[in-house]
Amino acid sequence: MTGIKAGGDEPHLLTGATGFLGSHIMAGLLAEGKRVVIAGRSSSREPLKERIRRLLHWFGMECREGLLEFHEIDFLKPRMGLGRAEYDRLRGRGCPVIHCASDTRFTEKNRAMVMKSNVESLATILDFATASGARWFHFISSAYAAGIDRFACPEAPVHSLRFNNVYEESKALAEDRVAGKCREGKIPYTIIRPAIVYGDSSTGKSLRFNALYFPVRSLQHIRDIYLDEIKNRNGMKAAECGIFINDEGVLHLPIRIFIPHEGKINLVPVNYFTKTILAILEKPENETFYHITSNRPENMTRLASYAERFLEITGIEVVIGAAGADAMKNPPEELFDYFIKAYRPYISDKRDFFRENTDRATGGVLPPDFGYEIFQKCMAFAVAADWGKRLFD
Amino acid sequence: MDDVLKTAKSCRHYAMCKIDFLGTGLCRAGEEKHFVSFYPQGRMDLYAALAENRIPITEKCVEIAESCDLCGKCDYQCYFVTEMKPTAVMKALKEHIRLHLENGGDVLAAEKDSILDGIKEIVGDDWATNDRAIALTYSHDPCPAAEPRLPDYIAMPGSSAEISAVIQLLNRHGIPYAVRGNGSSVMGFVMSEGAVIDLGRMKAIVFDEKNWLVKVGPGVAAFDLQKAAVKRGFRVNAAEPSALVCANIMCSGIFSTFSASYGTAADNYIDAEFVGHDGSVFRLSDPSAPNLFGFRRTDSALPGICSSASIRLHPVPADEGAAFVPFASLERALDFARECAGRRIGLAIGVLGGEYVSVFLSPTKKLAAEVKDAFRDKLKMEYLVLVIGDKYALHSIKAMGYPYFDNRMIRILNLGLPALTSAKWLDLMDELADDKPFSYLGLAHFPDLAEAALAPSSAQLVGDVDPELRPFFEKLYARPEMTDPVWLNMFRIVSARMGREKHVVAMIIYLPIDHTLIAGIGREFKRIADSHGLKNDFGFITPLDDGKRCVFEYDYYLDQNDPREKIKMRQAMMETGMMIEKFSAATGTVTWIRHVFCQGFSRKESFLYSGAGTGP
Repeated sequence: MTGIKAGGDEPHLLTGATGFLGSHIMAGLLAEGKRVVIAGRSSSREPLKERIRRLLHWFGMECREGLLEFHEIDFLKPRMGLGRAEYDRLRGRGCPVIHCASDTRFTEKNRAMVMKSNVESLATILDFATASGARWFHFISSAYAAGIDRFACPEAPVHSLRFNNVYEESKALAEDRVAGKCREGKIPYTIIRPAIVYGDSSTGKSLRFNALYFPVRSLQHIRDIYLDEIKNRNGMKAAECGIFINDEGVLHLPIRIFIPHEGKINLVPVNYFTKTILAILEKPENETFYHITSNRPENMTRLASYAERFLEITGIEVVIGAAGADAMKNPPEELFDYFIKAYRPYISDKRDFFRENTDRATGGVLPPDFGYEIFQKCMAFAVAADWGKRLFD
Repeated sequence: MDDVLKTAKSCRHYAMCKIDFLGTGLCRAGEEKHFVSFYPQGRMDLYAALAENRIPITEKCVEIAESCDLCGKCDYQCYFVTEMKPTAVMKALKEHIRLHLENGGDVLAAEKDSILDGIKEIVGDDWATNDRAIALTYSHDPCPAAEPRLPDYIAMPGSSAEISAVIQLLNRHGIPYAVRGNGSSVMGFVMSEGAVIDLGRMKAIVFDEKNWLVKVGPGVAAFDLQKAAVKRGFRVNAAEPSALVCANIMCSGIFSTFSASYGTAADNYIDAEFVGHDGSVFRLSDPSAPNLFGFRRTDSALPGICSSASIRLHPVPADEGAAFVPFASLERALDFARECAGRRIGLAIGVLGGEYVSVFLSPTKKLAAEVKDAFRDKLKMEYLVLVIGDKYALHSIKAMGYPYFDNRMIRILNLGLPALTSAKWLDLMDELADDKPFSYLGLAHFPDLAEAALAPSSAQLVGDVDPELRPFFEKLYARPEMTDPVWLNMFRIVSARMGREKHVVAMIIYLPIDHTLIAGIGREFKRIADSHGLKNDFGFITPLDDGKRCVFEYDYYLDQNDPREKIKMRQAMMETGMMIEKFSAATGTVTWIRHVFCQGFSRKESFLYSGAGTGP
């Protein structure tokens, strides 16, 4: 590995700044007084600048807007959709690039779009980086790009041929393209691989409520359906499923969560993710992979107990092994199983992620253990934000 | 305009008060007197005309007002369709007449008229009139393209012979006439300044089960025929419930979602009797009869008056059920509908848009609007394909891999609609990352969960219904047939609700089930309506002839009392006609229903493939 100077005062060019991780990287850089060139897209409802302003408000960083510069880009168009002059001007600055934009959908039906966004469109940003002689190219990938061929995952290129889903596969392919093109163009690069990122461990704040949040939200809604039925109607449907309010006034909601094996859930808080990224950007090492992961991953049994406590319910049982054909006996159980289907690979994951490079970059600072206190803080924020619907109220 | 007058002027003329579709019984006076004037629909028109001083008070006017016993049945019937309560108008009409009489106002006696005397000689004294109060109720409909025409005479013949004699008499005096069924065509076809021949008395229904047919008189409404057929274990292909069967065949050939298997036009009948314009009587099965099986691609005149028709009876499988198959795009919905039709899966098939589904299922406008949003935004169901079939058909759909709402789920969904609009758990369905859309419908216990979550009940469904009528509607929706998609599709009593918010003008074309073509024409329908600021929406598509063709309805809506909207609608209708003709000329496969009007007795092949032999 070759140490190359991180860069002077030139701003970073950041893609994906309107997303969960990208926005936190932006906020982290701004907090350090660094300038950021935002390369992003307007949504159908809101121009790019407004989207970013809304995020700055959420971070309480409106005063730092002056450190931002905006460029409306489209990776699927030549010159990233920029006019010749604007493209040339931007290219001439040689900014280090942080490429965070990504399509995080898992489903096979979205394969074409995911591959297009995460792999094919890379050519445009990599061409730009090459043409501009970018000082660095930092690619935000995923720990799960490791695939499922082996459980021991080093901070090294992926050799797996099998993946849980198209998202993992696209990230693995993208890493390979980034490495190849950067080497060819003599651009120093890093590949940064976070595990499952949740909200801020100290405040509970988050901008996204999938992954860790989705099963809890599912349970909350199922709980509310039966609570309402018991309280406002005759509770017959609840009784049919063995659901009742116990002597302590707590809802007993018998749901078995079937997972193939007792695996792990690798969680890191977004504030840790941001700090780690900033540390890596400070002293990046060329051609280096960084796992932003936890050495003490959670397991489903513990998370289920947290969820019971938070939602004030009992009856959640984690069952190791596949459900038999007739195992799904009650409606809430079946629905919950259906809800978490897409997340199943990540709630009983067998993979271990090594993180020597990250430890070196951070001086060995590890993510906090994910105890109930953090869980409660994050979920309370999520509920208050109505799982994202009232996020910017 | 006060609320009562507004209600009176907003009658859609759908004639739903002339059929007993809610089991309340009919307006007693209407049932006895038959003239539309004695039904709530006629009284609404009459009150509006009196309130606006458009007609004097006549003898019949007094009789009509006094014949109303304020029983309130029309409130149930009209509210079900339009959310209006006509009883307030009935009261106002009675009050208007009472005050007039109390103040010694004149009552105009019917004028002596030798032609009227001649008609009365044929049909009987009670069944012909020139009273202006009666004539007024036959003078207009909400069609924006039709100007009101006050007829001189109204005749209600009771037999083919009487129809023939009346026509000959009118011909002798050079008096033009129009023929009227229930007047529910609302296309301006049933008006004349001469005479209107109302066939509403001829309600004979005679079954010939051995030959799988039922012979109906020209005054039989689709609802009444279906009711009689179902009672004997049969089904007919029926149009809108208040449409008269003979008139509907004549007008547009009868099409419904069952046309996917029962066909349309000549497929629906075995024989028919006509009274020609010269008064001669002929049967279609007679080799010397005029050929009505062909089709001319031009506007056509009526070939005569259909005085009876022998309608096909169809068997009803005992294990019949419905599937509502959801789709996020029209293209996928059309593919599925075409596949079912091509494989002959299901008896009834219809691609329905969100507007129809929400309006049909909801008892009020407010709920319909919320439900439409919930279907589109929460459930991502832009289109639903309805398939009615036996258990083998339904198994086939499942085997084809399409999750669907079955009868039980439809009932749960329908009675739980208010809870659907506020159900937070539905957000999860939207966000759920799943490869197979709507696969949750395939979960074994999903109906149980939906039952717990939506708390389906008729009480909940009628939560925002007018409190005065709520107890009636709560009982009504508790009846199994009111949430049975098979029954509702056979009797079609909810279809009139598409005119609940505003009067509807249906744009109907026949064409291949070709997504590109349908989407192209659909965009044009929308563009034209939008350019005039008219509410518009996708209606439905039903495959015909094994999915080789389909009937496509796109709807425009207007406030029938807003002169500006009427002008806009006329303009839009003209542009739409030009657009359809353009597609028709370019493809050779698109047929506008305008050309089918008055040719509904033709073979469907004659108009579905009317471009055959003209293409390359």
